[in-house]
Amino acid sequence: MKKKMLSILLSVAMFASILSGCAISTSKEPDDSSTESTEGEDGAGDDVVVMKDEDMEGREEITLWFWGAEPYAQEAFKRILVDKYNASQDEYQLVVEFRPSVDDDIKTALAASQGPDIIYGSGPSFVMPLVEAEKLENMDAYSEEYGWKDKILTPYYESGTVHGSLYSLVNGVSTMGVFYNKKVLADNNWEVPTTIEEMEAIMDEAMEKGLYASVTGNKGWQPVNENYGSLFLTHVATPQTMYKVLTGEESWVNDDVKAAITKSKEWWDKGYLAGEDYVNLNFSESLQLLSDEKAPFFVGPSIAFQWAASFFTGDKEENIAFIPFPATEQVPDTTYTLGGACTLSINANAEDSHKDEAAKIIDMMMNAEFMQEMTAAWPGYWGTPLKDLSSVDSSSMNYLSAEFVKVVSDISAAVNEGNFGYYDNTFFPSATQTRIVNIDEVWYETSTVDEYVQSIEDEFRTEFDNGMVPPTPKPKMD
Amino acid sequence: MKKRKINWNYFLIAPSLLISVSIILIPGIMTFAYSFTDWNGLSPNIHFVGFQNFIELFHDKIFYKAIQNNIIWTVLFLTIPVCIGMLAAMLLLTRKKTRSIYQVGFLIPYVLAPSVNAMLWLNVVFSPVSGVLSVFRNMGFDVSSPLADMKTAIYGCAAVDIWHYWSYLTVIYLAALRQVPTDQVEAARLDGCNGWQLFRYIYLPNIMSTVSLMFVMITIGSFLAFDYIKLMTGGGPAHATEVLGTYAYSFAFDSMKIGKAAAVGLFISFFGLIASFAYTKISSKEEME
Repeated sequence: MKKKMLSILLSVAMFASILSGCAISTSKEPDDSSTESTEGEDGAGDDVVVMKDEDMEGREEITLWFWGAEPYAQEAFKRILVDKYNASQDEYQLVVEFRPSVDDDIKTALAASQGPDIIYGSGPSFVMPLVEAEKLENMDAYSEEYGWKDKILTPYYESGTVHGSLYSLVNGVSTMGVFYNKKVLADNNWEVPTTIEEMEAIMDEAMEKGLYASVTGNKGWQPVNENYGSLFLTHVATPQTMYKVLTGEESWVNDDVKAAITKSKEWWDKGYLAGEDYVNLNFSESLQLLSDEKAPFFVGPSIAFQWAASFFTGDKEENIAFIPFPATEQVPDTTYTLGGACTLSINANAEDSHKDEAAKIIDMMMNAEFMQEMTAAWPGYWGTPLKDLSSVDSSSMNYLSAEFVKVVSDISAAVNEGNFGYYDNTFFPSATQTRIVNIDEVWYETSTVDEYVQSIEDEFRTEFDNGMVPPTPKPKMD
Repeated sequence: MKKRKINWNYFLIAPSLLISVSIILIPGIMTFAYSFTDWNGLSPNIHFVGFQNFIELFHDKIFYKAIQNNIIWTVLFLTIPVCIGMLAAMLLLTRKKTRSIYQVGFLIPYVLAPSVNAMLWLNVVFSPVSGVLSVFRNMGFDVSSPLADMKTAIYGCAAVDIWHYWSYLTVIYLAALRQVPTDQVEAARLDGCNGWQLFRYIYLPNIMSTVSLMFVMITIGSFLAFDYIKLMTGGGPAHATEVLGTYAYSFAFDSMKIGKAAAVGLFISFFGLIASFAYTKISSKEEME
């Protein structure tokens, strides 16, 4: 009898142990960063870099968690933001933790009503559930104090609002486009493509010559897939159709969306997305291959400028250039898929004085001077979405930084004319975004286009009915 | 009057009991409870949805794909690392002077962090830019990464995890083999047993309890598989390497459906429970014998 009891107890104990293993826990993403700052301090994980000034021990700490940027980028962040803020007053110091798994860490911390004072987010769609759970501070008063509404591009400002109130600001614009290697195009007598047909013709020829058609890949970050979902929704389904879909006026199950998904599959089947190496390449490796003249194009987000800086150096520096995605039959005008590098919000659970300081720090990032300094040191990530970029002087910047400033200026102009589409991690709710990430189901033929589009519609309808869709700016409708 | 005797045993087990209740039992019960809700992990509004999460899972083909992959993972781990580990342990048994060095060498992948091992394979072996793959391509061979093919991706991930895991089994089996009575081994040798017969009739029966235990632990561990798949493929391409662990994670952190993630977690527990009962049964049978 005793043995039987012991057996039962043992089984229950093992079951409970396994069950507890299913509870939520954070995970560490791989990261190869290193820095002169301290690692794994204050109970943070081993791969977390904590940027803290030990000489300011007596000051109160305003905390910010950021993603695990490259060491040169962390250094720029320290010099241009942290040091300047710390020098501007003597009561607080800004402490930044660079965390490779920042998205999950933030969600977990906020669920427990903890977390840093300044909340990093991967996009407005990331922010929506946090607002609904009352984890983020309403920033309307700060917006009025600092004049954010007047100086930030309207679609970007509105993307951070929920029911008309501001909860987040996009730090920098990002768009999908085409990086190309000038030398590869010149060596092969290829013109810079202006239409999708011209680009496809070049890619076909490139593959015949043993080059990649284009380089890109989702190694280590599966959500890279969403870049291509968003791209084709903008340039084939059209911004006008997507506006109707996102505002609930039209179903996802329509011919335009199906045509966009079908076009993405056509590109996949033809090997235009790095062929069979798509799952074995990340953005750094892709840009290395572009730099090594192994491909004419890299189709990717403009934030990739920050990785290009590592490979386009010396006499190769000016070999790279960026163009908006070429004209399609459905979208002939220059049009940009609007996205953001990240969002910045304020923790609702922070002390009031910390909230004021957090707003002050966010405002430091929302001006042309900051963009100029950061872009010069860290191109690609800090294209502040300002209406007026006339004071940004790129004449003393290096080639990549100056090119990025030009891209941001072009996006601003296009946005003002209403020529924009929607990047999923900025404008789609989270479960719908996850379905866009899973576009590879169509590419690998585990779902048909019809099944896939219907599954997006099912997820979107639930989120739309629950009010989880971020505000959708209206594009030019004619 | 008889003085009441204090049973100190209760005081002694109290700390471990408290920890177990706090970090194992309560989260376990919460996981069970959340599986019947639509909680998104953040909202204070939690709605009871009955069996809806389970019904949706039963109609979800990716869920079945994940179970299938967990079963494949279990079968692979119950065979390949067990055979390699046993063979290595038997070989090391006769290397009395050098086996410590071998063990340390073999254990290096096991003591490295999963992220390091995964990055090593992704960048040094499978990378078309800097890996072994690129070397073969430069030599003219038309090779591609197993992770790129839906049919082979799960085996590619398992290969890396097995590479990291087999040495652990070697150490366990070697420790058990060293406990086998030498008189039995010597008697068998005198009777003319060859190597295989020695293993089959002397060593294996003596270490059977260890082998059974490791079988159960491997089975439980296989249904908890997560880290190497998450690091290497994230469950892709097109869910080809999805297992219950990565699927639950995807629900919890990507789609923000904690309720559904908890429901998937219960299935992980269910399979673990079966293995637990099997182990209990085997243990009591051995005790009876």
